[in-house]
Amino acid sequence: MTSNHGSKDMTVDVLIIGAGASGAAAAASLSEAGFKVKCLEQGFWQDPSKYASASADYDFEMLTNWSVDPNKRQLDEDYPINIDNSPVTPVMFNGVGGSTILWTAHTPRFHPSDFRVKTLDGVADDWPLTYEDIEDYYDRNDEVMGCSGINGDPANPPRKPRQMPPLPIGSDGIRLINAFEKLDWHWWPSDNYINSEPYGEGRDACNFCGHVHMGCFKRAKASTDLTYWPLALNNGAVIETGARVRRVTTNSSGIATGADYVDAKGVERHQPARSVVMAANGIGTARLLLLSKSDSHPDGLANSSGLVGKNLMFHPFAMITGVFPEKMKTWQGPLSNFAMSQEFYETDESRGFVRGYTYQFQRSLGPGWVANGGFTNAIPWGDSHHEELEKRLGSMMAIAVIGDDLPELHNSVELDPDLTDSDGVPAPRINYTLSQNSRDLLDHGIKNATKVFETAGATDIYVDPLMRQSGWHLMGTARMGEDSSNSVVDKWGQAHDVDNLFIIDGSVFVTGAAVNPTPTIQALALRTADYIIANRTDLRG
Amino acid sequence: MASQHSRLLEAIMDRMIPAVGDLPSAGQMGLIDEIVELAAKQKRFEDLFHSAITAFESKNPDFLTSSESVQDENLKTFELNTPEHFNTIRTIVYIVYYKDSRVHKRIGWDGQPPQPQGYEMDPWDESVLENARKREPFWRKV
Repeated sequence: MTSNHGSKDMTVDVLIIGAGASGAAAAASLSEAGFKVKCLEQGFWQDPSKYASASADYDFEMLTNWSVDPNKRQLDEDYPINIDNSPVTPVMFNGVGGSTILWTAHTPRFHPSDFRVKTLDGVADDWPLTYEDIEDYYDRNDEVMGCSGINGDPANPPRKPRQMPPLPIGSDGIRLINAFEKLDWHWWPSDNYINSEPYGEGRDACNFCGHVHMGCFKRAKASTDLTYWPLALNNGAVIETGARVRRVTTNSSGIATGADYVDAKGVERHQPARSVVMAANGIGTARLLLLSKSDSHPDGLANSSGLVGKNLMFHPFAMITGVFPEKMKTWQGPLSNFAMSQEFYETDESRGFVRGYTYQFQRSLGPGWVANGGFTNAIPWGDSHHEELEKRLGSMMAIAVIGDDLPELHNSVELDPDLTDSDGVPAPRINYTLSQNSRDLLDHGIKNATKVFETAGATDIYVDPLMRQSGWHLMGTARMGEDSSNSVVDKWGQAHDVDNLFIIDGSVFVTGAAVNPTPTIQALALRTADYIIANRTDLRG
Repeated sequence: MASQHSRLLEAIMDRMIPAVGDLPSAGQMGLIDEIVELAAKQKRFEDLFHSAITAFESKNPDFLTSSESVQDENLKTFELNTPEHFNTIRTIVYIVYYKDSRVHKRIGWDGQPPQPQGYEMDPWDESVLENARKREPFWRKV
């Protein structure tokens, strides 16, 4: 895939910072409507035929050069993150496609109640929009990304048919499902942006290799380098890769004028623009806004509320692993999220906490991964080593508890005073503590998942009460709202302080819900793009 | 890797993964070169690995001449007190051991990387939803 490279000094209508899930979706819409769009992306294009799942050293690569953790990957295009004050490690990928390159592509939607937590449960805040406001955008996004799944889930509102049937459940999955049914608890095949049959240009069906989190060799998993970006480039949008943004620039009136960046050859450049769209994820966007101080924005761009970088939400994860007496080839099929349960999703105050959680069903991988623990501790060294490996290989499954994360001011992204990326740009520092509500919620999930494994006949059960490497979902650090004193952007993603600055990544989330956020991020990005198209003709040159 | 460190790593591996069936203990399988080459595929990991070996050597200067029971105690102490160093060594020892074709043969693993072949699964069967479909909608209306 080649990207178009226009003149670097031409003013563009829309400068998008970040080529991941949201930036790609907005770029495709805006460029289709005739806006001149350019995207600056600090990473590069990926070649699926070179993904490490086809390497003999895939187990090593998974922990190093293809780790989901940028602090372990340490590519030049990554930026380090100070996590000394966080029990959760943020994970992400920097490149065209962003974190959709390494995501597991689980794509549930928010529930209607997720947008009304203040009204319903008296906590956090309501969103300034409703489920119905973005439902059509969810559908549009499904069309482009391609969703496998099936209608009829009693835990979610009815919706249009998915593009493909669900991925197979497998004999291992049946075992867990039977346990849920014995307990009379909900389960349903997961929605995934993974092809269960060929869908999209040049995209094959999944061949169940399991290593969905290492990039998809078969192009069966939707990443935006394969879905939205080809559309956007065909419309004339431009991506410049290896372009690390230092700051968003503003004029004396405080209006965004473009961005200063370092190009792939290390040359300092400025990209002028009539508007700027931030799509750098819930950490990267906050980082750049805080870096973009000026006389007009002394506390960082769009930060008159003081909320840029605040209210960071991750989704707390617990993981419960069970080992069964039977061999079930648990390495076959996507590692994560072939089915889910939302039995405990909605608030029931008798449980002692508000909001709820989703159970995600997980498999395991091959012997190297199992020996090193998979989702639990490594198998012991010494005399019991071989017996324990034999017990776990092909017999180990897990259930993840993904809990609703509510916003708290002290959970934050700030600029580290010492740490920098490879271009000398200050790196982010994370402050995160788990709330008591989240702890209670996870403990409830652990107790009931243990019951599932016992019912399913597991012989050994292991619990990780808070997964360290689970900060996939980066949300809340530039929240949306009607009131400019307690939010950063309005319901269209437009900054209250800067009317030609828009934010379209997970930063704008008011609350986190208890599901993976990417379809909601992309739906909101498409909605913001539609708003710009309909209302901001002044941004077109 | 210095020959002294190679011998030390072999001895550590012997205690970590003992002989089984027709296979000798891991340190006797000739895996050291592969461990060193693999670690070198990422600078961060390579640095961690060599510092871990060096740290182990400095804390256990008599490891090579100690009895097996003392070696096990040395390893347990190292694991407890310096988990990052210990985990670095264990991680790469396990990875290299379990990518060896002799080990694959013993445990019945096909040994291929996950791609490009992938695996086969029985196709999606909607009958699994027979019970789940009986439940009335219970999502919270607002």
